[in-house]
Amino acid sequence: MFTGAFDAAQFWDSLSMTFVSGFFLIFVAVIVVYYYAVKPQNQWIVVLVGSLIFCLVGGWQVLAYPVFIGIIVYCAAWVIEATDKKEKKKRKFFVAFSAVTLVAALSVIKLSQFFEWTTVNFIFPIGLSYYTFSAISYVADVYWRKDTAEKNYFKLLAFLIYFPKILQGPISRHRLLAPQMFKGQAFSYKNITFGAQLVLWGFFKKIVLADRLVTVVNTVFANHDNYGGAIIFVTAMLSAVQMYADFSGCMDIAAGISQMLGLELDKNFDHPFFSKTVAEFWRRWHISLGTWFKDYVYMPVAVSPKMIKFTNWIRTHIGKTVSRAISTIIPLAITWILTGLWHGTGMNYIVWGLYWGTLIILSALLSKKLEALSKALHINTESSSYKFFQMARTFSIVCVSRIIVTPGDLAVSGRMLGKIFTDLRPWELVDGYIYSLGLNSYEFNLALICIVILWVVDYLQTKIKIREKIAGWNVVFRSVFYSAAILGVLTFGLWGPAYDAASFVYINF
Amino acid sequence: MFPQIKSERLMKMKERILEILSEALPQIDFTASNALVDDGILDSISIVTLVTELSQEFGVVFDLEELAPENLNSIDAITETVTRLKNG
Repeated sequence: MFTGAFDAAQFWDSLSMTFVSGFFLIFVAVIVVYYYAVKPQNQWIVVLVGSLIFCLVGGWQVLAYPVFIGIIVYCAAWVIEATDKKEKKKRKFFVAFSAVTLVAALSVIKLSQFFEWTTVNFIFPIGLSYYTFSAISYVADVYWRKDTAEKNYFKLLAFLIYFPKILQGPISRHRLLAPQMFKGQAFSYKNITFGAQLVLWGFFKKIVLADRLVTVVNTVFANHDNYGGAIIFVTAMLSAVQMYADFSGCMDIAAGISQMLGLELDKNFDHPFFSKTVAEFWRRWHISLGTWFKDYVYMPVAVSPKMIKFTNWIRTHIGKTVSRAISTIIPLAITWILTGLWHGTGMNYIVWGLYWGTLIILSALLSKKLEALSKALHINTESSSYKFFQMARTFSIVCVSRIIVTPGDLAVSGRMLGKIFTDLRPWELVDGYIYSLGLNSYEFNLALICIVILWVVDYLQTKIKIREKIAGWNVVFRSVFYSAAILGVLTFGLWGPAYDAASFVYINF
Repeated sequence: MFPQIKSERLMKMKERILEILSEALPQIDFTASNALVDDGILDSISIVTLVTELSQEFGVVFDLEELAPENLNSIDAITETVTRLKNG
């Protein structure tokens, strides 16, 4: 006799805020159906209701913070827009008040995690940094008259908690996403199929590749004393690929779902491992965070009247060269320390920020000298081999940054980096030892094949429009290809309770 | 002001700006493009150098709204922006 009555409360508790679950796929399908079933001008209400449900799965706190932040920026933007442009002080006060309040709230919550404050028990809401930054950019853009204030609070809330981007971003700009969201979108077969392909590609990156590599990364970083420098460096390389596959996979899922709804999210990755310089890497990696810091920290600091006055004083009293260097160094240093703090409040993140900041400052200050040196040494900087060298150099720098930040203890990071130079043990890469890092030979080689697939697809994406190309294939080839791709992800994806697929790397920011 | 005198002043200003920027940012050919920002020829670090140099030279204050690409995309646009800021 059937006795298993459906327990709604138990079902609700079993859900979690993640993209990688059967519930989420059904949830998305329902949202898409309702979205196109209602009148275009009401589609945003479907998005709002869907996002509210998605947030409530994570608990009421997940919703409480954006509702509160939304009220602050809604009021501030409204007052700023209603205030005459000549009343600079009043407008400035409201933009500063809302930005400081939001940053202070974010800092207190982040610091409470770092210092493990027990007197104040804050619950860190998922996606807090992402929508806080989106909210700040919204008020600042209204202040600079790049955007208009939202008249309907619920529309602003729909933008802030839009479910595909709430977990890990991208840090969307209201002026770019909101007009698409509120104008209504016509059903498009192409958007549905292209969006679904992007979701599938995201799943491949996340559950076939990243979740495999994370086993090796965790094993080696947790037991670093057992391994030589060669394995440590290879693991750092795998860690960089894992981070990319995990984060960009999540972004592909978010962008794919958005495309199904006819919406285009801000781009967050642009083939970062093909970057030739560190500055280029940061223009291609976590793009929405980089442009946020550029627009709302770096530029305001660099061109502020106080900064100009200070560098002018240096120019008069010390000289032009020092003045130019100072005008480059100070804003970049502030930006990179804050970028490090955004990623985490531990010392490892501060050092990580200083590491990247120093490299970017040095490359900006020395670029002319390095160019002259290349010319003097007759190095052909346009040759393929030199470009490959530049990419390998940038990738190595990324790998070192993984060793700085991942162990969470700078002394351990130092020991691991030291081993690369003093205790290499290269034979560990070829004597089979590498298959004892959490993945057997089959799993390890499968991960390597997936890395090659990822690299080839990334490379092709820089040359052709892959999805358009596949869409042009004969229907039989296309069907076989899609079926194989779906089957591949279902077969090789790491599903089930043994794997914590829910833990996207960038989810806790 | 007579149009001819105005245009001569603008021309002189443009030459002076070109001279300053070519010295501060020798790697950039300011006359080669009308989309210096849009094409990525001027990145954020170069824009800061440009703003700092012109602010110090002409005593103008660039608000962030002034850093829109259309105000910096060509040497003509930069000259126009500086002239407008100078004239208050």
